[in-house]
Amino acid sequence: MPPPQPTPKKAVPAPDYKTVAAQWAAAKRAKEIEDADRKDVDDEKEDRGQVSEREQRRARLEAARKAGYQARWLWTTGFWVWMTCIHLVGIACFTSGFLLTRLVLEDKARCDEPPTGNSSVPHLLPAWPGKGTVDGGCWHPRTFERAVIVVIDALRYDFTVPVEDNAPFHNAFPFMYETAVREPRNAFLRPFIADPPTSTLQRLKGLTTGTLPTFVDLGSSFSGTAIEEDNLLMQLRDAGKRIVHLGDDTWEALFPGYFVGNLSRAYDSFNVWDLHTVDNGVMEHIFPLMSRKDEWTLLVGHCLGVDHAGHRYGPNHPEMTKKLRQMDDFIRRLAATVDDKTLLVVMGDHGMDEKGDHGGESDDEVQAALWMYSPKGIFGRTKPEYVVPPSTAKIRPVNQIDLVPTLALLLGIPIPFNNLGRPIEEAFAGADGTAWENLAAVERMTAAGIKRYQTSYFTVRGIEQSSAPGSPADLWDKAEALISKGGKLDWAAVFSAFASYQEGTLRRCKELWARFDLKNMITGIVIMALGVIVLLLYVASGGDDDVIDDPELDLAERTLELQGVKADAEVAPSDLDKRLVSPALLGALPGFFGGVIHSFVSGEGDWYRGSTLAALTSIATVMVSMPDVRIAAWNILPKTLWGWLALVFTISQSVGFASNSYTIWEDSILLFFMTTFGFITALSALRLPSLADRYLSIYHSVLFVLLGRLASFSKLCREEQMPYCSSTYYASSTSSTSAPWQLVIPFLVCIILPSIIKAYLQQTRSYEGLAPSWIGYVFRTGLFMSALYWLLDSADNGNWIPGLPDKTVKTISVYTAQMVLGLALVAGTTAFIWAPPCVSIVTSALPSQPGKAQVAILGYANAHGARYLLLPLNILGACFLLSKPMGAGALGVMIWQILSLLEILDLNNLSTSPIGPVMLAVLGTFHFFKTGHQAVLSSIQWDSAFIPLFTIRYPYTPIIVALNTLAGQILATSAVPLLVLWKAGPKRKRVLESVSRALGAFVAYFAVESLATMLWAGHLRRHLMLYRVFSPRFMTAAVALLAVDVVVIVVALAGVRVNTMAVGEVFGWAE
Amino acid sequence: MSSALAKGSSSRFAAPSKNDMTAASQSTATATPLLHPIQIKPNPLAQSARHAFPALLAGLFVVRFRALVADPVWAMATTLMLSAVLQVAYAVICLPPAGSSQGGAARAARKPRPGEKKRVGFESAAGPNAIATSLLSLILSGLVTPFLYICLVLFGAPFLTHTAHTLLCAAHLSVLALFPLFYVHGVDAVSWAAVGGFSAPLDETFGGLVGALVGAWLGAVPIPLDWDRDWQKWPVTILCGLYAGYLLGRELGGSSLVWGKRF
Repeated sequence: MPPPQPTPKKAVPAPDYKTVAAQWAAAKRAKEIEDADRKDVDDEKEDRGQVSEREQRRARLEAARKAGYQARWLWTTGFWVWMTCIHLVGIACFTSGFLLTRLVLEDKARCDEPPTGNSSVPHLLPAWPGKGTVDGGCWHPRTFERAVIVVIDALRYDFTVPVEDNAPFHNAFPFMYETAVREPRNAFLRPFIADPPTSTLQRLKGLTTGTLPTFVDLGSSFSGTAIEEDNLLMQLRDAGKRIVHLGDDTWEALFPGYFVGNLSRAYDSFNVWDLHTVDNGVMEHIFPLMSRKDEWTLLVGHCLGVDHAGHRYGPNHPEMTKKLRQMDDFIRRLAATVDDKTLLVVMGDHGMDEKGDHGGESDDEVQAALWMYSPKGIFGRTKPEYVVPPSTAKIRPVNQIDLVPTLALLLGIPIPFNNLGRPIEEAFAGADGTAWENLAAVERMTAAGIKRYQTSYFTVRGIEQSSAPGSPADLWDKAEALISKGGKLDWAAVFSAFASYQEGTLRRCKELWARFDLKNMITGIVIMALGVIVLLLYVASGGDDDVIDDPELDLAERTLELQGVKADAEVAPSDLDKRLVSPALLGALPGFFGGVIHSFVSGEGDWYRGSTLAALTSIATVMVSMPDVRIAAWNILPKTLWGWLALVFTISQSVGFASNSYTIWEDSILLFFMTTFGFITALSALRLPSLADRYLSIYHSVLFVLLGRLASFSKLCREEQMPYCSSTYYASSTSSTSAPWQLVIPFLVCIILPSIIKAYLQQTRSYEGLAPSWIGYVFRTGLFMSALYWLLDSADNGNWIPGLPDKTVKTISVYTAQMVLGLALVAGTTAFIWAPPCVSIVTSALPSQPGKAQVAILGYANAHGARYLLLPLNILGACFLLSKPMGAGALGVMIWQILSLLEILDLNNLSTSPIGPVMLAVLGTFHFFKTGHQAVLSSIQWDSAFIPLFTIRYPYTPIIVALNTLAGQILATSAVPLLVLWKAGPKRKRVLESVSRALGAFVAYFAVESLATMLWAGHLRRHLMLYRVFSPRFMTAAVALLAVDVVVIVVALAGVRVNTMAVGEVFGWAE
Repeated sequence: MSSALAKGSSSRFAAPSKNDMTAASQSTATATPLLHPIQIKPNPLAQSARHAFPALLAGLFVVRFRALVADPVWAMATTLMLSAVLQVAYAVICLPPAGSSQGGAARAARKPRPGEKKRVGFESAAGPNAIATSLLSLILSGLVTPFLYICLVLFGAPFLTHTAHTLLCAAHLSVLALFPLFYVHGVDAVSWAAVGGFSAPLDETFGGLVGALVGAWLGAVPIPLDWDRDWQKWPVTILCGLYAGYLLGRELGGSSLVWGKRF
């Protein structure tokens, strides 16, 4: 038999009408006394005075309690705002040291100063007419007068070469391959390898400056900043040439004022739903320009259709075939308009992964294609077998930065100062492929440029260059020695000597620019760690004020108060938050000003110092002013099995982030933890004294586990999980649309979920008040419309209803989506603020004394929880729409799991244990994965921004993408107060403090995860998998933590305030 | 499984006799101490066998390990037979069968109530038969295997593939950890509620269960690692953890250090 329960179960109401009534009866007695008094008031005037005095006193007490509550709420919120700031500063500080930075040199290459100028042999080639001028060719004879560059965004290499399969994205774009094979002197096609990160903005920087991107620039991908470094376009502009741009407006952001205004056309680049506007614009305007060639020197056309088709449908879709065929036709027609003096370059700026997304560094993302064409017939191959383009991108690839020296030399302009690329062989090898002298000359010129850049860079940074054997300096000396030998030179050897210098330098630079600022990283980690400690102390410092819910005692206390025995309104108990917030502010001030003054005095002028110092001093004062720190510190260590379980889950997962395997398989690990929890609660149910409780507890535990396993079938695999994982989130592994059967899921949820919620509420008779109409009708309608939206969306994608005017379905679906969001967020919030508690008052005859009436309040026992539940449901309504059908199903499962979890915790008397918040956090993170996400950049579902909108609109777009990405965590955060409020009657005391403590444990989980990922990413900063695994996981954890912090303040705390006010207005204020 | 057991206990308390009223109302408080830790039979054969069998089991696992990595299904099936034989022999030699004066734990200290029916099951009138009890326990272990299979799937084992692997793994868990418990407790609901609620006293059988569960749980830890070793195959690591945990738990539970203690 189970052992005796150490603590008697607190008054958990049996789902029984009479128990509820009995509970209320005690509280009602107070009221009855007054009512009786009021009736007899005519008899005795004295009494009337007494009564009115009592009434007044009561009103005063209530008002004081309300004011006290509001003050405490403000202090609590203040604490959480402070905590958010600490997290923000810690993360910002770490990030500033961790995300790589490269010093940008402002030097420009000049036509009349070739980098070989100081050498004993300035030029390997004999002098040419116009040497040293842009029209003749600055550093190399000019080959073409003008160039047309067509960027086909996300043109992966395998789209352009024959592949023997029937994939929709293969063999649809054969023109470039055919010309390369048929007319090798006019055209060549090679794999074109991008340096990650593979976002368009980063790529354009690399393609025009010739330098390596660094991670820190990635953040500016959405704002787009002008390039300050020397680049191809700057050289052309400075030489007085005219540049025209058509297509993607990222170019305008990078090169403001470069383009000829009346000829250029820029189009919005982020509207991924729109496959055709940009491409049609480019095609419409490029052909007229081809017949007016003297009006421009460089013509850039940037097509986005292929990229958008990838984002929207994934490569494995008929739309992709159509798009590629259209591009094939476009390039075919364009090539026909090219003359001898014009070079045509067609390239992809990056590839796409198997779902059509990009941003990372997987093979599919970095492998683009490069094709150059000119009827002049100057392209050659140094070996005959090079004529046929490589069958895969692994063979003979060129780096994307190699385009920079190639184009510069062909167009006669100087190679941009910061370039690290090398000339592409085919363009300089001569039509017969034997022009080794030319090849050696261009290779040396480029290498000299690289050397000049390296020397300046090292001088500016104050670093010594190594000259050990095998170092770039050593390779350079060897190559130069070959030339200074004089006599008949072996040009091929000279060529390869300089080529190896370039390769060595590039390799070195890649290592060098992985430079981390350890000081900032460590400061960030320290701030985060101290923040976690404060949070844990905060959670532990109030653990012992176990609230005694005794209606009789409560009543007695109230009566005393009313009679004035107890002193007036000593409402404010020890408010920890108040005692913490003031020192936090006071502590922050000297640190902040000290830091700012110091950074100005020392001339560094960065804002980091002020904020980090402020954070540190602020934490220090808070720790000092923490009451009973030693007791709290002792309390941090768990004392029960459940506390240990919470600790083990959190810590083992954090330790696991040190290994790429555990990071990759995080979703399975979270399922494992959830199942473990469910099993332990099921087993521990056997210790419950009441049989009914046992059954219920086992039932909910089994349900919790089964639902978790059910949700785990929704998977979006990351590349590293292959081949042990198969994605189910989309129709296929190479698509980003839903399969028809998946569209049924939201409809199922719409039918089932409201009834399930109703069943959970009816246990405590709480399906009263607004609940039936809101959950039964409004919420259900919202779910139905979301389901409808996804049906319409698929109808639109698959063109199921032919013959409709263009965009009709899209328009209808967008307005449907807007209505759902309005319903869930605007109407939902309004309803939540104005809703009465979910209770209902029933009068019936007393069975024992038929003459007397009995007043019962249905839903009394769960007055707090039932009403608050409406808030997470509103959040769910919004997230439900913004997640794809499979994810919507996962979210439906999640809210069911949350309700089961609440029951389990309540039955096992665990509502104050940290296991509740930690399980909720695990649940939230688990469903992050189950809503089609992974801790990689490419899994961000950008297309979700276009569910309720036609175009990008700030600030809505980032909010929508955040709601899609972090739906699991956001829903979990909004549900944290339920851990305290569920089955809490209106007389429950110190609700706010308990909620804040539960939030503390919940946020501590995410803070520990962020801290751990920071630690590991910092520690493993030279790890091969840094950018694939550790860095994205750190970013995910940091973003999740900040989002959770914001939701804690904006949703959870605000929701608790509204809820308590509403309950308090009806039932009177509990302390 | 648990619900069936719980039902058994509910019927026990549904109609207590008048005399027992007070005891029954406090039954939650008083019933637990009734469950005594299992003592190994005091004869010299049992005392020497209690250490020999774990050694044999460990040896068997070590010998079969290579085969297990090479062909898990076949190796697990054959090893299961041998393990079962070893476990049956261990139970018959060392453990008191359910319903014997010293076994059946919960019953031992309790006087039969007036009017209580003789329990049907292993306790025949002539006292428990070790062979019959062990065979019945073996059948029970087989019967709960599908439930354990479902549990493994819930923890994340493959759902539609590797069915034989997972089922055999569950069978091993059942034969190692549950079989001795069936042997000593039969299907007594109160005892099983104590075992399930982890409030039973530690002894060789219960210690083995705890060790096996913890071991199998920890056995999942190396699976995700990208070491590309053959032994990371499903369910080799689970089985390793299961055997190691079981043997450790059994030895520890039987040792004088923790014997009779409770969580």
